[in-house]
Amino acid sequence: MSDSGSKESKSRDVDGDQVTSGDSIESKVDFIAIASRFWYSSRWFLLFIGLLVVAFRVTNSMDPNWGRLANTNNNLVTFFQESLWPPDWSVIEAQAYPPCLAAPGLSFTCSTAWLGMIETLKIAFVATILGMTISFPLSLLASRNLSPNWVSYPARFLLAGSRSLPSIIWALFFVIVIGFGPLSGILAMTVYTIGYLGKLQYETIEGIDRGPLEASKAMGHGWFERSFGVILPESANGLISQVIFMFEYNFRHGTVIGIVGAGGIGYYINLYLKFLQYDKVIAYLIIIFIVVLILDVVSIYARSLFTEDGDVRRPSWWSILLPPSMLRNKED
Amino acid sequence: MSKSVIHLENASIGFSPDNPLIKNLNLDVNQGEIVAIAGPSGIGKTTLLRTIAGLVPMLDGEMTLFGRNSKASRGELGYIPQRLGLIRHASVYHNVLLGALTSTAGAWFPFSFEARRRTLESIDAMGISEKKRTPIRLLSGGQQRRVATARTLAQQPSIILADEFLGELDEETMESVLSKVTNYVRTNNATLIVVEHDISRAKRMADHLLILDDGQLNPFVDQPIAMQISMRLDKELDI
Repeated sequence: MSDSGSKESKSRDVDGDQVTSGDSIESKVDFIAIASRFWYSSRWFLLFIGLLVVAFRVTNSMDPNWGRLANTNNNLVTFFQESLWPPDWSVIEAQAYPPCLAAPGLSFTCSTAWLGMIETLKIAFVATILGMTISFPLSLLASRNLSPNWVSYPARFLLAGSRSLPSIIWALFFVIVIGFGPLSGILAMTVYTIGYLGKLQYETIEGIDRGPLEASKAMGHGWFERSFGVILPESANGLISQVIFMFEYNFRHGTVIGIVGAGGIGYYINLYLKFLQYDKVIAYLIIIFIVVLILDVVSIYARSLFTEDGDVRRPSWWSILLPPSMLRNKED
Repeated sequence: MSKSVIHLENASIGFSPDNPLIKNLNLDVNQGEIVAIAGPSGIGKTTLLRTIAGLVPMLDGEMTLFGRNSKASRGELGYIPQRLGLIRHASVYHNVLLGALTSTAGAWFPFSFEARRRTLESIDAMGISEKKRTPIRLLSGGQQRRVATARTLAQQPSIILADEFLGELDEETMESVLSKVTNYVRTNNATLIVVEHDISRAKRMADHLLILDDGQLNPFVDQPIAMQISMRLDKELDI
């Protein structure tokens, strides 16, 4: 700046030293450049921090009384020691009535835990199959790359309607309409499956490459051929994977809908909750947790058969269950 | 006298009416002709093909196919997009069958022995019989191009629109595929419009070579101005 100093207007700083306004402009420009560079490079992080601050402020606005958190530890220990532990495993013993006709080693199949679990699995299976059967045509109608707006929006409206209520509310509704039992559970889970799976499916369909659809349209295929000849095979892997996920999801939720009398293991959980027999409730919850883990492993394997990675190398059962270090020894 | 099958008059083509890619285009393509279109990247060649295929609405002007002011009927027009438009998770057979069905079966009754026969013949003609049951995603780029061509040949359309369908093919396969397609066009008196980057290949296969530049379609002539365009193309394409 020395060569242009003569042209710049002079001013004095707080100590009385003479400085040029050109220097101050330059430092200001530098500061702006650094700040904008900092903002650009860390904008997502800053945005995330901003969201956290907003969430904290919103919680505060609801007057949460943070002091209550102080007793959490004591309450948890007391509840755990006095009510939950040890679990009462009598839930996997055969019921006194009706008489158990199973072989001696299989008497657990007459227990409430087994019967409830099997019923929940049945509800989840039937609801997934029925839900998929109805949701697929609806998702075809709801896809904007396949159907005009006047068809896709009403279809989306239907799907949104059926998933806007959680499955437990649908279960309550069907218990009122048709009474207690697994049929109410099946219908409740089916309605919810239609909405949830339908949304996943139409998003998958809308996400497929437009090339095959355009080629099909140019050749003169109709809606039916485009749906079943192009869309179905192109998105089949994703759709099957979603159905498997939905079965797992329905099982987890099937344990809850029993609480309102819609069948399954939730019925027994609700029963023992009412009698304050938490040791039995925790036994049921442990069983549910184990079955969910097993289903999760089966689901990972089953879905791997329908993803593109599966073409290259499908995971073995061991690769899901064991850590990589042990896996290498196993493969050797 | 040959019949005009594709007629465009004062056609404006593109996506924005304020800034069309091609303005006031007049084009007549007769039955049995092979027309190649070349031009720099992003100039609107693909959009022109997609407009003729009825996939992009025309901004202005008039288009008639077979003298009719409507889109092509079922099976009348075959389209090989630049990215081929194959169903990646379906087999070669399924993809080719979809082409054959358009001219052999009704939309609501897609079962036809004729379609099956035509499908197998087209797959065989493209030399990919051993890959019949293989999903498209497991094929090489060149094999996928042959499948897309087989799909169009199985369809037996009157107009074929092909967008750089010979790319990624080795010289020998390219010659074989090209001869199958041109034979089909000559034998069946069909029409082929092909977008082609390689000027020498385009000149060899086409009856007419048109250059799309500055929103206008001009015949390619071996004169200085044409040479300049060609050189510009070569430079752009790094040939």
